[in-house]
Amino acid sequence: MTPINISLLVFMIGLYGVIVKNNMIKKVIGLAILNSSVVLLFVAIGYRDGGMAPIIDNQTANSIDTVLVNPVPQALMLTAIVVSISLTALALAMVVKIYAKYKTLDIQRINRE
Amino acid sequence: MISHLPIIIIIFPLAIAFMILLFRKYSPFLSIVGLLVSFLSLVRFLPFMRKGEEILYHLGGWQGPLGISLSIDGLSFFFSFTVLLVGIMVILYSIPEKKYNHNYYFLLLVLLSSMIGTIFTADIFNMYILFELVSIVTCLLVAYYQQGIALRASFNYLLISTVALSLFLLGVGSLYSMAGSLYIPNIFAQMPIIFTYKPGIVLTSLSLFITSMGIKMAMVPVHGWLPDAHSLAPSSVSAILSGVVVKVGVYCMIRLLYGLFNIENFHFFKSSLQLLMILGAITIVFGAMMALAQYDLKRMLAYSTIVQIGVILIGIGLHNNTGLEGALFHVINHALLKSGLFFCAGIVISQTGKRRIIDMAGYAERNPLLVFCFTILSLGIIGIPPMNGFISKFMICLSAVETGYSIFALIIIFGSLLTAAYFFRVIQVFYSKPIQQDTRLENSKHNKDTVLNSGFFRVFAICFLASLSLLLGIIPSLGILIIRPAIGILVPVVLP
Amino acid sequence: MDNSKILRTIAQKLFPFILMFGFYLTLHGHLSPGGGFQGGVVIGTAIILLALSYGVDETEKRFRENILSMLEKLAILTFILLGLLGIFFGYPFLRDIMPLGEKGCLASAGMMIPLNIVISIKVAAGITGIFYALVKYRGEI
Repeated sequence: MTPINISLLVFMIGLYGVIVKNNMIKKVIGLAILNSSVVLLFVAIGYRDGGMAPIIDNQTANSIDTVLVNPVPQALMLTAIVVSISLTALALAMVVKIYAKYKTLDIQRINRE
Repeated sequence: MISHLPIIIIIFPLAIAFMILLFRKYSPFLSIVGLLVSFLSLVRFLPFMRKGEEILYHLGGWQGPLGISLSIDGLSFFFSFTVLLVGIMVILYSIPEKKYNHNYYFLLLVLLSSMIGTIFTADIFNMYILFELVSIVTCLLVAYYQQGIALRASFNYLLISTVALSLFLLGVGSLYSMAGSLYIPNIFAQMPIIFTYKPGIVLTSLSLFITSMGIKMAMVPVHGWLPDAHSLAPSSVSAILSGVVVKVGVYCMIRLLYGLFNIENFHFFKSSLQLLMILGAITIVFGAMMALAQYDLKRMLAYSTIVQIGVILIGIGLHNNTGLEGALFHVINHALLKSGLFFCAGIVISQTGKRRIIDMAGYAERNPLLVFCFTILSLGIIGIPPMNGFISKFMICLSAVETGYSIFALIIIFGSLLTAAYFFRVIQVFYSKPIQQDTRLENSKHNKDTVLNSGFFRVFAICFLASLSLLLGIIPSLGILIIRPAIGILVPVVLP
Repeated sequence: MDNSKILRTIAQKLFPFILMFGFYLTLHGHLSPGGGFQGGVVIGTAIILLALSYGVDETEKRFRENILSMLEKLAILTFILLGLLGIFFGYPFLRDIMPLGEKGCLASAGMMIPLNIVISIKVAAGITGIFYALVKYRGEI
């Protein structure tokens, strides 16, 4: 199972939550799962066999043949996690406002009004 | 100083946006100043674009695969020119409105700055981050009045847009696993090698890119967010959404298809372009039929946007010089025309207080200049000869017939026919007598405040857009002036 | 949210250590995992811990919302100014204009330390602002 397959599987689980569930909080949880699947893909891509965490201190700098995993995807994913947090915060703020106006969390009942 | 202009174009509106939060009283003035500085800096690059050069700006001094670079070539220049032009018009239109406080101008400037950032960047992960910023700020602008129904549309748009951009990031990840770099020219150079070893990864990333950019630019199977978001937003926000935010999706689609995937070794490319053309045709037919059935004026205009995006898709899918020129010309034409139409709709709705087309009967008596401009703009969207819409649709139809896909030319003409049907219905309702007599008597009291009550800025914005469209239609070489460099970039991969 | 005395005492005693850990993460961003965003989130979490144990109104008297909002705007303007500082010296945007010390030392890595500090201030103010917005106005929107 390659990284892209597993990541697409988790993406589909999140997408099921966004599309099928009626409760708005469950849609937002599905959104968070979607964003986590992308983080999974990038970090899995950067793995090297037998590699250690990419921190350079005296021990790893002195010996030549230590294998480190690729740090670039991890740095990119820090930014992607920030984006995911802001999206979840914005979606939850909107859910709070919609709940205050419609008094229900069920999106089918909201769409009917 | 001129060598630092690319970053000034992006950073200056952003800095002005944060200064607006500190100085709240001068927000319209500061935003006009910021956008004018950016626009003049952008126009400074026109001589370089005419010669066909590309300006590269490496942030922080880190070059190549190590850093993020901004690249201004003909395509980026053309799209950012459109964005800034429509942005200035939208700010001019929003000046007389009393309900827009400093938050609105802040959000507009951040939106414009991040759109230009998406267009300039040459790094696909940076493109994802800035596009995500565009989506977040668009959600906040759509929900600006915080009515219940606009909040629903905005929540829906947030969910769908996040799914689209996560698909985009999955595509970026699978390309990065094989290419090892995120810089667009590097991936373009390595694409033949990647395709030899693992064609599956290239196909995966191509399909993920087409799906995600299709959601962002409202192709038909995944267009569901557009009618709600564009019709329930405030009118100036609808103008900038339909005008330019959708076009950033078009830009990313063109950049990813023609700038990342190297066509000579990639026979999937031609069939994916044909798929794009078929989807464009379905978009035209479906959008036009849905627009005919609408009661609400702004919802009809939103479905009309979907139809024109279908026309642009057919133009992109045609693997031809004239077709791409027609598609890019239709981008700027539609941006100008649809913004003008949404401005007119905004004035009509705020003066009559009604949103259904039937209730706006007899409006031409109150405001003849506005309905005249609405007629000119809708003639442009339909594609009648003195206007610019005719030129761009004619170029796409011509190239469709030249490459042997005449059926798509017929579909574009069929779409124009249906567009004529629903726009002429609106114009007829405007010019007719109202249904009930007492509303007419009531309106005659307000007869004194016809044109100038809408405010000088709004009238100026609408008349400027209408006359610019007429000018581009009579002298199309003004538009081809900025489009020819964009095609010049794509010449290595486009067969003439 | 006015909970037991155990919770309030422990939160009060832990608060400076969490703050110190946040500063450590920010300043060692170029040597170990961490950096501006992570340090800012930890500092914001410290303030949220105080708010959860003492009550939001009490915490808001100490960390006022308009001061946090002003800190956010000033932080982003400082970031842009630091980036433009490179332009004034003739280099491209965001170039290192501070001296690069020896590898592994704290005072190395050019421009990253001021940028990390500015980002952590902004993120801490932002996270606390989000917490205030979601919790303070419950029920009375």
